[in-house]
Amino acid sequence: TIFIIHTLVVRHYVEHCRLADEATIQGEAASQLAREQQPSPGVVAPYRPDSCSYSGRDLLKSFITAALNREEVIHVLCFDVSEEELKDGLKPSDTQRLHIHNAYSDPLGWTGHPNFTAQQFSLEDLTNLVKQTSHPKPAVLVIDSLSWILRHKTPPAVCQTLQQLRKGGAVRAVIGLLHTDMHQRGTVGSVCHLATSLISVAPGVKGKEAVARVTKRSKSGKVMQDEEIFCIAEDFTVTILSKASHAEHKTNSTEEEQADPTANLTFNLRLSDSELEAKQKLTLPFVFSKEKKTALLHPGPGSGRILYEPDANDDYDQEDPDDDLDV
Amino acid sequence: MAAPMNSVGKTSADRLQANCTSFQKKTRSKLISIPGTRPSVQNGQLLVSTGVTSLDYLLGGGLAVGTVLLIEEDRFDSYSRMILKYFLAEGVVCQHELFVATAQDNPDEILQELPAPILDDVAVPKPVEQPRPTGEPQDSLDAMTIAWRYQNLPKVQSALASSSRFGHYYDVSKTMEAEIRQAAKCHRFYLPDHITPSSAAHSARVESYSALLKSLQEVIHREGFDLATPMSKSRNILRVGLHSLGSALWGDDLCCHDKPRHSHALTTFLYGLRALLRSSLSVAVVTLPSHLIQDRALMGNITRLCDNAIALESFKGSERETNPLYKDYHGLLFVRQVPHLNCLARQLPDHKDLAFKLKRKQFTIERLHLPPDLSDTASRVSRGEPVGVASACGSGASGTKNLDF
Repeated sequence: TIFIIHTLVVRHYVEHCRLADEATIQGEAASQLAREQQPSPGVVAPYRPDSCSYSGRDLLKSFITAALNREEVIHVLCFDVSEEELKDGLKPSDTQRLHIHNAYSDPLGWTGHPNFTAQQFSLEDLTNLVKQTSHPKPAVLVIDSLSWILRHKTPPAVCQTLQQLRKGGAVRAVIGLLHTDMHQRGTVGSVCHLATSLISVAPGVKGKEAVARVTKRSKSGKVMQDEEIFCIAEDFTVTILSKASHAEHKTNSTEEEQADPTANLTFNLRLSDSELEAKQKLTLPFVFSKEKKTALLHPGPGSGRILYEPDANDDYDQEDPDDDLDV
Repeated sequence: MAAPMNSVGKTSADRLQANCTSFQKKTRSKLISIPGTRPSVQNGQLLVSTGVTSLDYLLGGGLAVGTVLLIEEDRFDSYSRMILKYFLAEGVVCQHELFVATAQDNPDEILQELPAPILDDVAVPKPVEQPRPTGEPQDSLDAMTIAWRYQNLPKVQSALASSSRFGHYYDVSKTMEAEIRQAAKCHRFYLPDHITPSSAAHSARVESYSALLKSLQEVIHREGFDLATPMSKSRNILRVGLHSLGSALWGDDLCCHDKPRHSHALTTFLYGLRALLRSSLSVAVVTLPSHLIQDRALMGNITRLCDNAIALESFKGSERETNPLYKDYHGLLFVRQVPHLNCLARQLPDHKDLAFKLKRKQFTIERLHLPPDLSDTASRVSRGEPVGVASACGSGASGTKNLDF
């Protein structure tokens, strides 16, 4: 499973730009992860504009917290932020199952001995990395963030690596954070196409809330989409507040359409009961009996006969039009 | 000519099923007939069924042998995958050979998901109601009191069907039984088995397509599908299904970048594929995630390099899902291109607005027509609100009690 969290790059952009489209968060997936054991293979990408002091990273940390609570081993590839900042807020008792690979200090290997570089994002290196911690259950791989890797490796290579991680057994689920603003639409689309679950995050109406649009694809080809409002508490638990209010608008509009057209008129268009009866009793001019209808609808073989009785007026003589010659 | 025509006369009667047209094309060539194919009534090409009868009708009776059908995938690749499965299932039922190539899932997964054919009694779609002189006229006359003269005229024929049925029906809720599936010979191409990704990442060219083309050519030559081999033994058709070509998993950055570096890799492959198909008894269906391709000119090139091209757009996940016009359907279908093979004119479908619906026993493609009273807001202006709909008729938005005439 690969989860991709789609977020908007926070620091580099002005608050007002790029707020409009596509904020969808998958709060449901977050809650599911938080509460139940949910093996959701997929790439989930929460997409969030940081400018609302709401970062996709909080959602990522909530995923990490939930997975730690479920006694799972987590490997985090830390590109965007430093290790301390990532660990900030997580409970210290859980950190022995949490392995953070610091790729923040030296991602491209400029010093002689880097911890983890972007070039190491390949199947073999990652499998080795995950297998180093000998644990019976397959681990969860959290990538913060995929945007960093996409800048240094080609998107097809990254997609292929993600696909291999999904097929191979070393990693149970991959959760990735993706800043959609930093890439071309095709790149974002290709990476999200691989995802089993996609969470797009956007700022909500009120302060601490955010809107999540969740898209989940199942093996059978069914796609489920949800839009929810959620907020994250201090200890990184996610609470779903409500479904988005789009549904409410739609029910209002359908109710309005049921308005009675015969109301509020200066003349009367309605029928009383006796009038209705009289209307139904009225025989219409071209209503024929059943036999005549059948005869007209299904003309038999012989019904096309023309019956002609010669009339005196039909006896028209060309040479004697007035018929007064005595010939 | 893409493929030899079948001999007409004795053999055609066995091939066509009941309710067929009595038209038989006369030809002097005596060639072996291949099961599951029939000559086109328009230009004599050898046709195979795509597995979806409505799609056969749109493409002019079927898919001509030696051509490529391009399916532009819908956003979540559910319906294009379904059509690919129908195509392969039809091949199994007609005893053709299959060649499946994928980069994402193993070909065996697609083969295990093939729908089960309905073999006993086919679910014939409701034909146009013919006037029945000896039927039950009483009931039909009771139905309409005023417009009874139109009783026997057919209702709007939105389902596309031809009079002769060619192809089979499948039940999507069940998968094909293993015995039937294993009776058909299937060749697989799974990209990770052929190309190690580490080598692919460093190469300047996209190697996956050439590997696929070589593999296909080798299969065609080995199994005797190409027309150069002598026609002594019985011939068969090879059905080629290529899933999600052009996606990032094939190593191609067509879908990733706005200006792809290897923009000619896929187009060269399609050119080679079509050349290969024209000289052999095979037919190909290619699905492509066109919604990821940003360069429309490239998409136009790709469309032109394939013979038939359709595009699917599913309503799932878009705002059209709640549109009342589309409530009966699962998506829209666009016919982008229809070929003209050995003739001057194409057989374009009459209707351009098509919508599809995946039912359990049938994948229907229907003409999308507006019902008479589509939107209630078109002719009725809601009171008190400013007029949003432009087609408001005279009575103004002021909603006053006095109406002026």
